[in-house]
Amino acid sequence: MIAACLKWSAATGGWSAADQAALELGLQHAERTGTDCVAVTVGPAAAAGALGEALACGASRAVHVVVDGDLPSWDTAVALSAAVAEAITVWCGDYSADRGSGSVPAYLAALRHCEQALGVVEARPGSLPFEVLRRLDGGRRERVSVTGPAVVSVEGAAARLRRASLRAQLADHSARLTTVAGPPADHLDAPVVAYRPRARQLPAPAGAVALDRIGAILHSGTPARRGETVELEPPAAAAAILDALTRWGYRAGGAAPGGATS
Amino acid sequence: MTAPTTTTGPGGDVTGPHLTDADVVVVGGGPAGSCAALVAARAGLRVVLLERGPFPGSKNMYGGVVYPRILDQLIPQWWTQAPVQRWITRRSTMLLTDTQAMSVDFRSQAWAAAPHNGATAVRPEWDRWLAEEAAAAGAQVVCSTTVTGLLRDGHRIVGVRTDRPDGDLTARVVVACDGVNSFLAKQAGLYEHADAAHYTVGVKETLALPKATIDERFNVRDRDGVDIEILGGTGGVNGGAFLYTNLESVSVGVVLKVPKLAAQQRRPEEIIAALKAHPAITPLVDGGELVEYSAHLIPEAGLAMMPKVVADGMVVAGDAAALCLAAGIWLEGVNFAMASGMYAGESVVEAVRAGDVSETGLAGYRRRLADSFVLRDHRKLRRAPSLVLSDRVQHRYPPMIANTIERMFRVDNPAPKPGLRRILAEERKRAGVRVRDLARDAWDAMRTFG
Amino acid sequence: MSATGGPRSASTYPSLPFTERMATVEFRVHDRAHIVVDAAVCRDCSVRGCVVACPANLFVPTADGGIVFNYEQCFECGTCYLACDREGAITWSYPEGGHGVVFRHT
Repeated sequence: MIAACLKWSAATGGWSAADQAALELGLQHAERTGTDCVAVTVGPAAAAGALGEALACGASRAVHVVVDGDLPSWDTAVALSAAVAEAITVWCGDYSADRGSGSVPAYLAALRHCEQALGVVEARPGSLPFEVLRRLDGGRRERVSVTGPAVVSVEGAAARLRRASLRAQLADHSARLTTVAGPPADHLDAPVVAYRPRARQLPAPAGAVALDRIGAILHSGTPARRGETVELEPPAAAAAILDALTRWGYRAGGAAPGGATS
Repeated sequence: MTAPTTTTGPGGDVTGPHLTDADVVVVGGGPAGSCAALVAARAGLRVVLLERGPFPGSKNMYGGVVYPRILDQLIPQWWTQAPVQRWITRRSTMLLTDTQAMSVDFRSQAWAAAPHNGATAVRPEWDRWLAEEAAAAGAQVVCSTTVTGLLRDGHRIVGVRTDRPDGDLTARVVVACDGVNSFLAKQAGLYEHADAAHYTVGVKETLALPKATIDERFNVRDRDGVDIEILGGTGGVNGGAFLYTNLESVSVGVVLKVPKLAAQQRRPEEIIAALKAHPAITPLVDGGELVEYSAHLIPEAGLAMMPKVVADGMVVAGDAAALCLAAGIWLEGVNFAMASGMYAGESVVEAVRAGDVSETGLAGYRRRLADSFVLRDHRKLRRAPSLVLSDRVQHRYPPMIANTIERMFRVDNPAPKPGLRRILAEERKRAGVRVRDLARDAWDAMRTFG
Repeated sequence: MSATGGPRSASTYPSLPFTERMATVEFRVHDRAHIVVDAAVCRDCSVRGCVVACPANLFVPTADGGIVFNYEQCFECGTCYLACDREGAITWSYPEGGHGVVFRHT
């Protein structure tokens, strides 16, 4: 089974371009591997009509987790993961309607303990393994091989959703639409707050008089931390950089950074 | 026209309900289409409403005011649910020259209470609401679907072709509400010719202003709103201008006769900019941040351009049938669209039940239009569009009237006040208006508006 | 005359560049042009009503006497084909369903 997770937008009354691309790639994936494609959404009752369009486009089933408002990303991911438990590959749109970080696909991968390929701009889905092209910073790309169960989030330009035939649009799809009640309402009032970097706790500045304490905070009077130039082989250079970062307090001492090597 | 052999009279209908995909296919989810679909669906017919935009109303804009009383017959207490911006309680007709402005301003607080008179609304919201009413009545609304042509059996229209895969849809009756460009009415041969002189283009800016600022500038409170219709202010292009209040924005725009616009050098947004720079308009719109810029054609010529509205298997309603009243002091369209859609729906129900969807069977539509305000207003005001858009009314009378009034109120002491008759005669000459033309236009206006 | 605003704006606020004016409108652009202009027909047209009349300013005269038409920000109003008096210069249709202009505040 292949799943496509769609985020319904009240403003447009439909799916974003990214979600449409996810549905198209999910449909292609299901066709090429001879399996089912399930369209899933977590959204208000009004999203049911748009799910009907996903069914008209060729999704074999649709699951509608009904919530009456916005859910925090984690709760959305939990609700989705139950619906897509059997899916081999889960396609999501790399788009966040609330201009957040688009964290649902990553949470979903974490919940499923599976691979993730996020921000994909090109994909030719097929039987495992298949390759996708990811966007990196600075205009670079990364070719990633999807080898097992995975969550893939795609940008809007990755695929153009096929048009449903008029017959399919007019057909009654209600038999293939499963409606599930979403998480309880007390989750729904999560405040939307702007992203702020976490505050770091620093020791109180030492000094007998206020001027000294201010000076300590501003590092005035202390020698500037100079960069140093070293010429080393790459492994040794990496070790030197990590060592410097540890000394300067930017990372916990000694531990390998999580995920950086995977 | 002889009845086609494939359609027979009542009782012997071979195009029975199960041989077509739908009983009625309505093309276009504007006010006309939604009202037609609403009526037909309520009568139990299988109705498909096709809309080419992603949602009904997404292609639609207008120049300001809906007069929704016709909805009394379709949606009781419509004012409790309709997405209205403000209720019009102040109605101004303004005459502008380069430096002068004259207003006839009327105010009625009675219009602030249900059932109201006119309302400003945002068309993407208004049209969407009406389409939802049609869907609630059982019509199947399919968006993002452009109709590309008619399906015919001989000269009988039996459905539409859409741009979706497997996109042919057969129906017993097609209701063409596909707007001012109506390619369906043209394809069916109902328009004799499309004359550019029959059309104006409306170009509009929606400008955001705080509600308190609007209330203060326009002298209103709460949900009360103002509609200002302007003669002049279109930079020498025949047409008119308008300014009206939404809840937290004002809309200002111009309506320009297409051939006149094309024959000069100023672009529409420049004409709007000049209007906004007029000393009578600037204080009302200043500081408004552009929220949306939009444009749409208007069928302006009334009866003179109206197509045949009934063909075998098809009726035409709304702008597609040129049912838009542009009669100077009355500027209406959405009400004519809703009413013609409603009458189209009723007539289609009648024809389908009788088993005769030929031109004869659908003739009830033409009769309903003729018996109602839809054609009666148009017939009564048939001379108005050409009179209002004529060069004399557009270019000569405004300065003549404004200068006359300016001299009436100008205190030129120590000179004594001149007589009104003398001023008028002088200003008439200065404006280059012949007595004969003035008399004829006055007589025309009396017959038209009297 | 510039295409960016009024010639005698008395407003205390500056006029808006045309690109920003058009940026207030949502367009769902399809990759196929729904309106096609035959530049060969336009070359010997001296009237050029489309250039001044198109509210979206999509008709751009070129140095070699032709017309370039940009369909992407089209209001689908129909002014151009009415303003044009040259047979066959403008081939006009609506964009594919779901595409083209999407009004929201008008």
